[in-house]
Amino acid sequence: MSDPETPAKSGQPIAAHLAVLVAIALAAAYVVNLVAVVMLPPRPPDVMRGDKVLEAFTAGYAIARTGRTPPTGDGAKWTIQKQKPRVAGAPRAGRIIVHDLARRLETTPQKVVVAFDATPTDVVVFRVRSEEFRVEHEKRRADGEKVREMHLRARASREGESRVRREVIISENGDVTLRAPNAPRPPHAGVEAPMPPQPPNAVTEQPVRIAPRPPEPPEPPEPPRFAPPPPGVVLMSGFLVAAEMADGRWLVMRQQSNAETLDWIMRAALGIGATLVILLLLALLFARRLAAPIQRFAEAARRVGIDVGEAPVKEEGPRELRTAARAVNAMQGRLRSLVAERTEMLAAVAHDLRTPLMRLRLAAENADPALRDKLAKETGEIDAMVSSFIAFARDDPTREARVKLDLAALLQSAVDDRTEAGQDVTYEGPDRLVVMGQAVGLKRLVENLIDNALKYGRVARVAMRQDGADVCIDVTDEGPGIPREEREKVFRPFVRGEGATGAGAGLGLAAAREIARAHGGDVEIRDGQPRGALVRVTLPV
Amino acid sequence: MTEEILAPPDVPHVLIVDDDADIRQGLVEVFHRAGFKASSAPDAAAMDKALEADGADLVVLDLMMPGEDGLSAARRLATRGWPPVIMLSALGDDADRIVGLEVGADDYLSKPCNPRELVARARAVLRRAKDTDSRRGATEAARFAGFRFDFARRELVDPDGVLVSLSTGEFRLLRAFMERPQRVLSRDQLLDLAFSNESDVFDRAVDVQVSRLRKKLERPETGELIRTVRGEGYLFTAKPTPA
Repeated sequence: MSDPETPAKSGQPIAAHLAVLVAIALAAAYVVNLVAVVMLPPRPPDVMRGDKVLEAFTAGYAIARTGRTPPTGDGAKWTIQKQKPRVAGAPRAGRIIVHDLARRLETTPQKVVVAFDATPTDVVVFRVRSEEFRVEHEKRRADGEKVREMHLRARASREGESRVRREVIISENGDVTLRAPNAPRPPHAGVEAPMPPQPPNAVTEQPVRIAPRPPEPPEPPEPPRFAPPPPGVVLMSGFLVAAEMADGRWLVMRQQSNAETLDWIMRAALGIGATLVILLLLALLFARRLAAPIQRFAEAARRVGIDVGEAPVKEEGPRELRTAARAVNAMQGRLRSLVAERTEMLAAVAHDLRTPLMRLRLAAENADPALRDKLAKETGEIDAMVSSFIAFARDDPTREARVKLDLAALLQSAVDDRTEAGQDVTYEGPDRLVVMGQAVGLKRLVENLIDNALKYGRVARVAMRQDGADVCIDVTDEGPGIPREEREKVFRPFVRGEGATGAGAGLGLAAAREIARAHGGDVEIRDGQPRGALVRVTLPV
Repeated sequence: MTEEILAPPDVPHVLIVDDDADIRQGLVEVFHRAGFKASSAPDAAAMDKALEADGADLVVLDLMMPGEDGLSAARRLATRGWPPVIMLSALGDDADRIVGLEVGADDYLSKPCNPRELVARARAVLRRAKDTDSRRGATEAARFAGFRFDFARRELVDPDGVLVSLSTGEFRLLRAFMERPQRVLSRDQLLDLAFSNESDVFDRAVDVQVSRLRKKLERPETGELIRTVRGEGYLFTAKPTPA
């Protein structure tokens, strides 16, 4: 894998990052598959010749009889148990094999159990160690139908001895008979073979030798070679062979071919799974590596959007992101100078407007009390207009930080301040209601609405209630109300309600709505009951 | 330039710093009429000279002046610890007020103000300055019983981190209590300290404010923070620590 720090530092385009990701992912997938194939053992053969299985069992049985443990291995598992093994359903050729096994063990068929899944022969090639003769008979039954039979002649196992000891006859329907090679007739098919010779029966048979006579036994014996299975030999997989021993216990030999297959599947699945996990981890890693600078960029850009005084966005990550960060920083610089200019301009305006007002106010101190109060009232009204204009021009409702605040205490404080000044303001609602919001902004919103109500409707009734996920603040007055068609208009800056007199720049409702919307809420005007205007603020909690 | 109006030596001396000559003259007259000794200076440099020469018990400082601005001058005075400062500014926003109080001004008024209110505030600042040993501590924040009280921002943050707004009366009352913790304060004292500029506030109003403030401070875990001392007044039970 490449140095993980490289992509972030070099500022490659996103396409390059993706290309590296794809390349590494593919390489990783191939490596894992390769490792899996190399490390996996070949699948063990799980199809066996029935006669060999029986042979192996006979040998094991002989060992077990002497009290020793039978050999393990060869994909077979040996156990000794008290119960006769239970087998559901017997395969077609079971009976023959059972009889064969009983004969081998010199016991009765009732005392042996053979169960297996027959396997088709056409795909299996056997490795044989000794030569065998395959003899096919064609015999004619009494009804004249030709029946094919196969003779399997096994050669003596002892080296150098070429005498054929026994002949196994397996008929088409699977019955097996045995006879000595020189016996004149096989017994009737389907009957457990007693010792030959057998009395001839009704079936005439014409043994036909198909397989060539084997060559003289080689000295030393031929090396193992491969051959198709002898016809008629049952092929087994997943077999179970059992026989009762002298002490009543059962010797069981079983092969679980499925386990081997499952194991192999498990390993393959493990390989694929590991590849997937690695791919996922890599994808995740790269996604995070790609996403992290983008997220930081987004966060920094958001902060700059809220407050242009924030530190500039760090120029890092892919090339595209660096370009974007540079653009944002340039924009931030321009915004900052704009904000600074605006702040300076507003301060100058405030200074230039308020200094004469203060002069006027001081000059009025020397006038007689009636004139003084009149002048004080006028300067106060002009000052209120200047204040609302400056506040509106200066305040960016999205700028102030949000804190946990008690909205009920905020409302009560605003109401109490006005009550103490002798005005008719009441509050009704919970004693405590905590929301996230801008302390100064919400205070201005509430004070604007209360002061509006007092100005146009003499009283202000403030009521708050929680309404599901929203908080509803109603400010009701006892004035003439606001006609339906003007209710949207009055929210526009510098628009004042019909019949508005006295001071006011027409900014109170505009500012209130701007603040409420910055909180995800709104301000709307309704009819008061029984009269007057009802201004409703909804804020999400 | 120092315009001085002679007054008995034990009356407080107010230095007015403003770049507008009419305002300067008007304020000097207002303070003089109120029984103060008053002088004035047109900028921060002249203010330094006047303080050097005559000293002052209180400075009324304009914010926007040519040369060094009022904020910077107020900060310097606050570092020295004397004299107390009332900012008088054409910028009257909450934000401006907070900045002014945070650099160390003792009070903040926006132009145009009622001249009599300015005098009342001046009296209150002088009283508080005399009354509390650590005058500068009053402009910062303090903690008590899990609450945090920021004098400059007028912010009370409760033990759960929730900002609890206070009305002007409640703010002044709490400030008075916190400057004199664990002392019995009579209704008259509280009227003096917390409601100095409103002449029509009576004893009953103090009780109303106290009960409102109590309600806002009431938490099951803090116990009684403002105790009523029968026949005497009220006692703030917590001990504030500088935050």
